[in-house]
Amino acid sequence: MKITNQIKDTTIIITLDGELDASSSVMLDEALSDPEIMTYSKILVDCNDLNYISSAGLGVFISHLQRFEDAQIKLIFYNMQDKVRNVFEILGLDLLMTIVSDYEEAMTIADE
Amino acid sequence: MLYRTNAKSLFITSALISWSLLLANVLLAAESMHRESSHALELPFVNNFLIVVFIISVFGFQRMSADNLKGIDFIGYLWNIFAKGGIAAYLSVALYMVYRMVTNYSSVQSPLLLHMVYQVNFGLLVLFLAKAFYVWRQLILYHKNKFIQIAWDWYEILLFATLMLTLLNFNYSSLIFLPLLGLIGLYTLFLCTNLKWVAYLTFNKKGRSLILLMAILLACFIFADFFNDFADSPLLVIDYSDVGFLLLAMFFVALYTLAAFLVALFSLPTSSVFEQKSEDLLNFQRLSQSIQQGQSEKQVYDMLFESTVKAADASAAWLEIFRGEKKDGIELCHQLTIEEEQIKRIRHLLLAYNIQHIDYINNNLDRNPGFRDLTLPWKSLIILPIKSKKHLFGVLYLLKDIEQGFDRETVNVLRTFTNQTILTIENLRLVHESLQNERYKEELKIASLVQDSLIPKKFPSDSWFEIATHAKAAKEVGGDFYDFLQLSESRIAIIIGDVSGKGISAAFHMAQMKGIFHGLMQQDMPPSEFMKQANNALSRCLEKTSFITSALYIIDYRMKGFMFARAGHCHTLYYNSMMDDTFYFQTDGLGLGIIRDKSYNNHVREMYYDYNPTDVMVIYTDGIVEARSPTNDEYGEDRLRYMLTQTYHLEAEDIKCAIINDLEDFTGPTENIYDDQTLLVIKFKPTQPSE
Repeated sequence: MKITNQIKDTTIIITLDGELDASSSVMLDEALSDPEIMTYSKILVDCNDLNYISSAGLGVFISHLQRFEDAQIKLIFYNMQDKVRNVFEILGLDLLMTIVSDYEEAMTIADE
Repeated sequence: MLYRTNAKSLFITSALISWSLLLANVLLAAESMHRESSHALELPFVNNFLIVVFIISVFGFQRMSADNLKGIDFIGYLWNIFAKGGIAAYLSVALYMVYRMVTNYSSVQSPLLLHMVYQVNFGLLVLFLAKAFYVWRQLILYHKNKFIQIAWDWYEILLFATLMLTLLNFNYSSLIFLPLLGLIGLYTLFLCTNLKWVAYLTFNKKGRSLILLMAILLACFIFADFFNDFADSPLLVIDYSDVGFLLLAMFFVALYTLAAFLVALFSLPTSSVFEQKSEDLLNFQRLSQSIQQGQSEKQVYDMLFESTVKAADASAAWLEIFRGEKKDGIELCHQLTIEEEQIKRIRHLLLAYNIQHIDYINNNLDRNPGFRDLTLPWKSLIILPIKSKKHLFGVLYLLKDIEQGFDRETVNVLRTFTNQTILTIENLRLVHESLQNERYKEELKIASLVQDSLIPKKFPSDSWFEIATHAKAAKEVGGDFYDFLQLSESRIAIIIGDVSGKGISAAFHMAQMKGIFHGLMQQDMPPSEFMKQANNALSRCLEKTSFITSALYIIDYRMKGFMFARAGHCHTLYYNSMMDDTFYFQTDGLGLGIIRDKSYNNHVREMYYDYNPTDVMVIYTDGIVEARSPTNDEYGEDRLRYMLTQTYHLEAEDIKCAIINDLEDFTGPTENIYDDQTLLVIKFKPTQPSE
């Protein structure tokens, strides 16, 4: 699992590369717990290279969801593989989180 | 044992008889010589035969009793010779003195008495020689090799062969036998170089053994002198110095005693070195064996401290042990002739030099101004940290009151000690850890048993539906669960769930969920209402990153339908026999514990479905569809659905087995599955329940 950050103005793009399982979700939790992340208005998660997400990985996003919502920070997933999207959908997270098809769409939603 | 006892008593008897006969014969001859003034001894061959029998009997007896001597109590061996053999010499001297006193006092020459004394002394001599001969044999053969064993055996045979000369009444001192005697002498000399046992004596023991050896030598001298005096004496009818065997045996015993004496004497100065080495070795052994003997770390440190102080002959020392991870957790656990005040000062100085935890040797403290200012009574210092690659266990400080106190040899020994200690301590900790792990495993086993009891093994068997279940946890305890509750005669509630994560915490939440299920369903509520209330209940106790997916089905066979709600759980697979079609129920529903307020109520849907007889419902957890093949493909919903289209006509149990077999084919033979797997197959039956 590789997690990389890219900053564009008030947007932070987090790229997930690999499998988000119980051990790598700790890294993700650290990245999302960084106080600095609250200074951005948008968090874009690039899921293009995310091959698998475990319940622990989902749990990390879920645990931070409320916090970002309260701080009015938008959390947007894009480029998600069908397999991973299916996991989100089964759990019902597609209705709670914003999942869009590509980067452009993500940027337009983020700018609204 | 019986044989040995018998042989011993046989030897004693034959020795006594032969000696008595010999005595009688000699006295008889002396009497006749006295009367007829003739020097001829009657029946010399009989006499010689008796001598040989006596010698063989005594030697044979001693050979057998010498076998009892075992072990490395060499002083005991020497004492054995002295007490049982050497005393004989002093007895013979005493006897001779008494004889002289008696003859002087009465001024009567009594050849009979003289012969008697001579004869008794002969017996004592043989006793002494036999004893010494066989004790020396034990010592020569100490740490023996094959060569020495053979050499000795031949020597013994050769020596006893010389008895033949006596038997045949040859004079051994004749010229023909001289070279032979010379050769035997050399042979004896060679055997006398086997003195390994002397090296094992400590300084004190060497001192004691020197005294004993001297006493034995003296005994040899007394006998030799006595029999030499009487050699070719005109007063006697018999001369035992003619017996070559005795001469050779005496030569051997005396030579070996002398050799042992000299070697012990000259090895006295070096014995302390040998002692130290053997003690070091013993201490190494003790250190390395301390694990098997179940000793604690403290005992290991005790051993290290004792051994190093002795090995280095240190005049002062202390040992610091670090407890815990913190730097300040230093414990002064050993102190030898040094004040705490002095330790504090030295430590302070070392801290200033920044060398407190590294290997450090200073063989001339006076040359260092810092140490000179401390005005310590010591001149050499060595610091030995006890540390592995990862861990610093402690530091050992040794001080000596002389310069150049720690030479390379000593330092090597000390380092070996500390290295061995590190190994021992680390092994001790490993053993301790593995014991701890063993206990955790035991407890996990219990947890696993408890959890197993939480999952129902038997569903109510009824004529209107059949059910088959499969459950396999990835670890000892898992997060998957299912359960049922008979709501009324015609209605049954079935729940399946999956707690995020695995292991103990998941197992706890699973138990919680089971409690919630049983508690809430007592009130018989619709599935969606159950999900709302369950979410509410879980919101308060589930940790932030955990959530639970679940699905609840309430089957009503009177209505021939079921109601269900899905909370983020895997879609239900269904086979409809009327339409001959398999599909997944696509309903919305958010997992439990994701939204922890009332807004969750908008995220759960309820569905009602009428079933037909022979319809099949497959309920499962994500461990099934997300199971991986060796090539990292997922089993997937499609393959599961395909399996159902192939097997729906079978009974529930067979459908389940078919799916599990296919799944195991897919994943291949693995011991550890990636996630918990749970599968329930429900088949509705056409027959109506009996009235």
